[in-house]
Amino acid sequence: MARMKFICDAERCIECNGCVTACKNEHDVPWGVNRRRVVTLNDGIVGAERSISVACMHCSDAPCMAVCPVNCFYKTEDGVVLHDKDLCIGCGYCFYACPFGAPQFPQAGAFGVRGKMDKCTFCAGGPEKDNSKAEHEKYGRNRLAEGKLPACAEMCSTKALLAGDGDVLSDIYRERVMRRGRGGDLWGHATAYGRPDAKATGPILQSIPQKS
Amino acid sequence: MNRLFALFATLLMALAAMAALAQQSSGPVESPADLAKQEQQRSVTQPYNNAAIWKNARGAVEGYVSIPAPEAGVLIQDGGQNWRALRNGWFSVIGGWALVAMMLVIGGFYAWKGTVQLHDSPTGRMIERFTLLERMAHWGTAISFSVLAISGLILLFGKTLLIPVIGFTLFSWLAILAKNLHNFLGPLFIISCIITFIVFVRDNMLKAIDFKWIASFGGLISGKHVPSEKFNAGEKLWFWGGLMLLGLVVGVSGLVLNFPNFGQTRATMQLANLVHLTGATLFMLGALGHIYMGTLGMAGALDAMKTGVVDESWAKEHHEIWYDEQLKAGNVGNAGKAVAPGAKSPQPVAIGGHD
Repeated sequence: MARMKFICDAERCIECNGCVTACKNEHDVPWGVNRRRVVTLNDGIVGAERSISVACMHCSDAPCMAVCPVNCFYKTEDGVVLHDKDLCIGCGYCFYACPFGAPQFPQAGAFGVRGKMDKCTFCAGGPEKDNSKAEHEKYGRNRLAEGKLPACAEMCSTKALLAGDGDVLSDIYRERVMRRGRGGDLWGHATAYGRPDAKATGPILQSIPQKS
Repeated sequence: MNRLFALFATLLMALAAMAALAQQSSGPVESPADLAKQEQQRSVTQPYNNAAIWKNARGAVEGYVSIPAPEAGVLIQDGGQNWRALRNGWFSVIGGWALVAMMLVIGGFYAWKGTVQLHDSPTGRMIERFTLLERMAHWGTAISFSVLAISGLILLFGKTLLIPVIGFTLFSWLAILAKNLHNFLGPLFIISCIITFIVFVRDNMLKAIDFKWIASFGGLISGKHVPSEKFNAGEKLWFWGGLMLLGLVVGVSGLVLNFPNFGQTRATMQLANLVHLTGATLFMLGALGHIYMGTLGMAGALDAMKTGVVDESWAKEHHEIWYDEQLKAGNVGNAGKAVAPGAKSPQPVAIGGHD
């Protein structure tokens, strides 16, 4: 069984917000709620700026799950953390606990009264029947049930954001790191924006073919 | 095992926080600008070494984000994990067992001493103890407090105690009810506390006589008679320490949590939640004592707050100084006068119910 994970390669992310848009569109996410967002650190500082796309990371030991007073969270066989909106009471505790700011609440009344929590589902829907109308209305599309990967990663123009089986992602990322040691001759951040030459060091790095 | 780990982690975090403070006072801390500069230099000499950038990732600095939501620019916030460990750990475990222990102590005390009865027989001459306004202030506070306490307990312990019994769906309905009652009655409770303060503050001023009462614990254990004013020192302590101090603590922290529309950060709400838990636990512990003394523990106390009048003998035995004042003012035996016109005139049912 696969363990689903996200990985965002900050050397590649160009802050296009394509993942954010893809997600909002795919799931008809309500106004004011963003299941995914792109954060840019050191914005505007040449050489030090990096962007990264962040959403629910589907933690192994999920804090939201631990603090939910009605136990509305559950984990699928693929390691995806989902929740049942019928049980959710909109208390906001998952939002206090989450390190990534994933849980979001549509405003349900005056003075910031919280509605049912909404968050990234890894495009895996909710507890309802796969791709039923009820599931679509509450959680958006269930792409995993259709055999597809999350829309954000599929849409990513630089393949910075990857989603899928953690083992496969690790292999892809490991290869990228090894190749970059040689000089970023894949589609790295530095390739897009230029970088000073760096000499390859170590036998493993020299074994990777170099772009001429 | 998990709990032990949480405890250990909390201790470690406390140590780390102290270490960080110590460091702050001794040496310069790397500012975000410094780190960005370091990264700029490193990008020349060591491309792909991003260490300086990720030092900022844990909530130290907000990045740029195109979403206009509070804290959306924070990549990772650390506080949530600490809050989770403390709320699910110490605060609910110690708080929960403290409430159980308090109930056992009160149960034991009742088994040992029973209800404090009147020594003399009632004379039938009634004195007005609480005006209608005073009683309304009391019951407004009491009812809202009880609903808040029960709904709060449901939200904190229901997951452990009720879901296994009534299931997810039914408990979710109960929790929604509890949440809404808690959120809407909270502000009303604060108003009740303020009215209670205005109505009762005059009679709750601490005086020298109160320290004598405290020293002998009101004669509750020895059974010896200790004179007191309209309110004894125990009641005064409950007024100041409970209603006023704890009321302020749970009131302010509750408002922070109740109105998330002012852009307060998660760190503020985590702290407010822990303060709220602590204050509410102490409040409930005190309330258990207060409710016991007002009902099972003392004959005639509940009737006084229900009807507003007490028998002469009760007043003499429990609040002698106040009784003497009332006697001097000629108020003994003419109770009911101060009751608002149109209201049902209270039947003097204070002790034994005969007059």
